[in-house]
Amino acid sequence: MRRKKPSQSASKESYMPQRELQMERTQLTAKRLESQRKRRPGKQSDTLRAGLAVMAGRTAGALSRRLHLGGGTSIVGVVAQSIYPDIVEHLATQLKEGSVIITGTNGKTTTSSFIAAILRDGGLRVWHNREGSNLMRGIASSLVMRALPTGHLRRAGSAISILEVDEAALPQVVQAVPPRIAVFTNLFRDQLDRYGEVDSVISYWQRAISQLSADTTLVLNADDPAIANLGASYAGNVLYYGIDDLSLDQQNQTNPNERHQVMDTRTCPQCGNAYTYDVRFYSHMGHYQCPQCHTQRPQPDIRATLVQLDSFDRWRLQVSTTTETRELIIPLPGFYNIYNALAAITAARALDIPWEPIITGIEQSKPVFGRGERIQAEGRTIRLLLAKNPTGFNEVLRTLFSEGVPRHVLFVLNDNTADGRDISWIWDVDFERGIGLTNTLVISGTRTLDLALRLKYAGIAQEDMTIIPPAPLRATRNDEASLRRARRLQKRSQASEQATPASIAVPARVYGLKNAINVALQQTPVGETLFIVPTYTGLLEVHRELEQRGLAPHYWEGKEEA
Amino acid sequence: MTQHFTQTFTPSSTPTLTLTLGHLYPDQLNLYGDRGNIMTLSRRCQQRGIALRVVGLGIGDALAPDEYDMLFIGGGQDKEQAPVAQDLYEIKGIGLWAAIEDDMPVLAVCGGFQLLAHYYRPADGPDMRGLGVFDAWTIHKGPHTPRCIGDLAINWNGQTLVGFENHGGRTYLGTAKPLGKVLKGYGNNAEDHTEGAIYRNTYGTYLHGSLLPKNPHFADHLIELALQRKYSSQGRNLEELEGPDGVTQPPSANGQIAPVANIGNTAPFLTSLDDTLEWEAHTSILERLGLHNAASATLRAHIS
Repeated sequence: MRRKKPSQSASKESYMPQRELQMERTQLTAKRLESQRKRRPGKQSDTLRAGLAVMAGRTAGALSRRLHLGGGTSIVGVVAQSIYPDIVEHLATQLKEGSVIITGTNGKTTTSSFIAAILRDGGLRVWHNREGSNLMRGIASSLVMRALPTGHLRRAGSAISILEVDEAALPQVVQAVPPRIAVFTNLFRDQLDRYGEVDSVISYWQRAISQLSADTTLVLNADDPAIANLGASYAGNVLYYGIDDLSLDQQNQTNPNERHQVMDTRTCPQCGNAYTYDVRFYSHMGHYQCPQCHTQRPQPDIRATLVQLDSFDRWRLQVSTTTETRELIIPLPGFYNIYNALAAITAARALDIPWEPIITGIEQSKPVFGRGERIQAEGRTIRLLLAKNPTGFNEVLRTLFSEGVPRHVLFVLNDNTADGRDISWIWDVDFERGIGLTNTLVISGTRTLDLALRLKYAGIAQEDMTIIPPAPLRATRNDEASLRRARRLQKRSQASEQATPASIAVPARVYGLKNAINVALQQTPVGETLFIVPTYTGLLEVHRELEQRGLAPHYWEGKEEA
Repeated sequence: MTQHFTQTFTPSSTPTLTLTLGHLYPDQLNLYGDRGNIMTLSRRCQQRGIALRVVGLGIGDALAPDEYDMLFIGGGQDKEQAPVAQDLYEIKGIGLWAAIEDDMPVLAVCGGFQLLAHYYRPADGPDMRGLGVFDAWTIHKGPHTPRCIGDLAINWNGQTLVGFENHGGRTYLGTAKPLGKVLKGYGNNAEDHTEGAIYRNTYGTYLHGSLLPKNPHFADHLIELALQRKYSSQGRNLEELEGPDGVTQPPSANGQIAPVANIGNTAPFLTSLDDTLEWEAHTSILERLGLHNAASATLRAHIS
C-alpha cells in the first residue's frame, strides 16, 4: 500500500498547490459553516428550544455550584441536552471559525492548550472545553455556558472552538460538531476496562472519520502507525507530523531501561505482519515499515529535524516544512511534548496561521493542569506529572530519571472509574529506571500496596519507600478485637496451653493522601523539588488538597475566556 | 522481623539449582501486565539462589519440551490471538502436549487459558481452535453481553487467590477441574462459580493483575513443582505410582495447604521469604471485595 494522496508527497512542486488547495478548502468550510448557520437557527422553534435549554442548563450549573454538588460543569450540558438534544449542533454551527477537535490517548490537553495559545496569539477568539469535560456532555457544557438565553452564542464572531474529545466519544462529537481540523495525537493502551482493547478505539475513530465530509483536514502523527493509518483511506486533506532527528533513536541503546518498551501497535493493519523499525523513539513511535506489504511511515509535512534537551523543561526544536525551517523552544518537560507541539504547529499551519504566533504561542505556554504544573509549597517546588497509562508513565519516568539526578518522588496510584479499574499495567512500567535515583519515595493512592509491590519487585528496597495506603487494613483491627476476646477467654479458663497469638505485625504506617503529601514534602529539603506522579483521579485529589492549603489556584473556578 | 522470616538457607552451600522458564508469545500476549508474573518467578527464585533463565518463544519458534522446566502464556488482544492460536496448534502443540503430560508446571492466563481449551467462539467469525488441554470451551456472546471486569477472589486449596479479571468470552468446563471456586467476582462464566482449570500441573486462569505478585503461595507452588520435577526423580516415581493426582489435595488440619504439592516425600526446596507486603496487598483486595473473614484468616496465617 503506497500512499497516493498529494499531501503525502514531499516534493516542493506538489506542496504549493497543496497549500492553495488547502486555503480553498478552508474557504469552502467557512462557506459551508455559514450556510449551516443561516439554515439552523432560522427555525423559530429551534431557537426557542435552544434558549430554554441554555437557561435551564446554566441554572442547573449555578445551583450545583452553589450547593457544592460538584464542579457544576457537566450538569450544564446534561440538562441542556435533555431539553434540546441538538443543542451542541445548534450552538457549534454559530462559530464563525468553526472547531478544532483533538483526540488521542495522551497529549490531548497539552496539544489543545498549545493550539489555543497559538490561535489566541493569531488574533482569534478561542473557546476551549475544560480539562476533564471531554465527553459529549462536557462539550455541551462548554458551549452552553457561553450562550445567551436567546439561543445564540455570545460574541461568536471570529471565535473558534478547540475541543478536546475523549477517544470513545469522538463519533458522537463529530456528528454534532463537524470540525475544520481533527487532530489525532497517538494511541496507547489505556483504561482497558473502559475502552475494551486498543483495537476498539481504532474502530471508534474509523467510524468518526467516515462521518466527516472531505472539508475536514486530518492532522495525524506519522510516527504512530495506528494513527498514520487513519489517513490511508480518507478522502479529504491529510497533514502528517513526525520526528526526523535520528539521534533520538532508543531501540539500539545499550541501556536496558531503554530496550524494554510497551508496544501497543505491533502489526500492520493491512496484512497483519509485525512492523520493523529503522528508528524508534518510544513505545511504537518511530520510523516503521511492514516487511510484507511495504506499508510505511508517511513522509511528514511538518518535521522536527533537530531536537535538543537544554534543561529539564526546555526543549530546543528545529521544525521544517518542505519550504522553510524554524527554531523554537518548548518550555515543558517530557519528550512527548515534542509531539504535542508538532501536532499544534501542524493544526495551526492547516488554519493558515503564520509562524510568529505559532512560535510565541508555544514558547510562552505554561504547563496545564497537572502536566508539568509547578506549585510552590513551604519553600519547596512541587511539579505535578500526570501519568495515566503504561506509556505515559514510562515517559514520565524517563523524564525524571534519564539525567541521572536523584529525585524526590510521590507516586499516587488510584483505580477509580476515571483511572480505569484495572491497574495490571503497572507491571509493564519500567520502575527499574528509578533504582538508586530516588532520594525519597512516597507511595499512596487507592492501590498503594500494589504499587509498593511493583517497586519491591523492581528492586527498590522497602526501607527506601514510605508506603501510605488510604486506610489501615480492617483485618488488623478485627484481629486486635479477636485478640482481646481470646485473652479474656484465656483468663477465664486459665487452661489454654496455647500461647497468645502474636499481634499482627503489619508495619506501622500513617494513612491517607493528606499525610502522603505531608510526608513527601517533609522529606524534600527546602529549596528542592518534589515530583508528584499521580493517575488521573490522584491528580484531582492532590490538586484539591493543594488548593485547600491555598497553594494552588482553584482549578474549577479558573477564569473563563470569552 | 525480616530475620524471623528468612530461615537459615545459604544458597552457596548447596549446588546451584537452575530452572528454565519458557515464556510463550511474550510480544503478542502481554496485554495485562503479564510481565509481572515473570518478574515474580524470577525474583523469588533469585532470592533463594535458584538461577531462573527466561526464554521467550515467539511465533515460529519450536518448543522442545526437555529444554524447559516451566511454561507461561499470557493474554492478548483478539487480533493478536489468531496468529498465536495457529502457531500454538501447528508448531508448538506437540511439544506443549508432551511437556504437559510430563507434568511440567504451566501457567496460562486469560487468552492463554482460552487457547489451551478446545476452542474460542467469537461473537462473529469462525471458531479459533485451541489445544484441548483443558476439557473446556469459550464463547463470546456478542457485544450485548457485558465483559467480566473487576477484582476477583477465589478459593484455591483452602487458601485464597486474588486478582483482576477482564474478559469478554465465557468459559465452560466439561470434565476439566476448576482451579478454584469464585468467592467474589465473575470467574469462568459468571454463572457456575468456577474459575480457571487444572490439568496435571497445568493451570489456566482469568486472574491477572498480575496474578503471582499478590499470590506468593501460588508462585512458590509453581516453582516448587518445577524443582520437584527436575531434581527429585524419586518423587516423580512415587507420583507415577499414585497416579496424576498430586495437585489438588484437601486442606490439611490447620486449614492451610502444605506449601508444596507433596510429590513424593522429599523436603520442600523453597525457603520462606519476607512476604509481608505481598500478603498485605493480597488482604487489601479481599477487604475491597468484602471478604473480611478470609482477610483475617490470611493475615493470621501469613503475617505474625
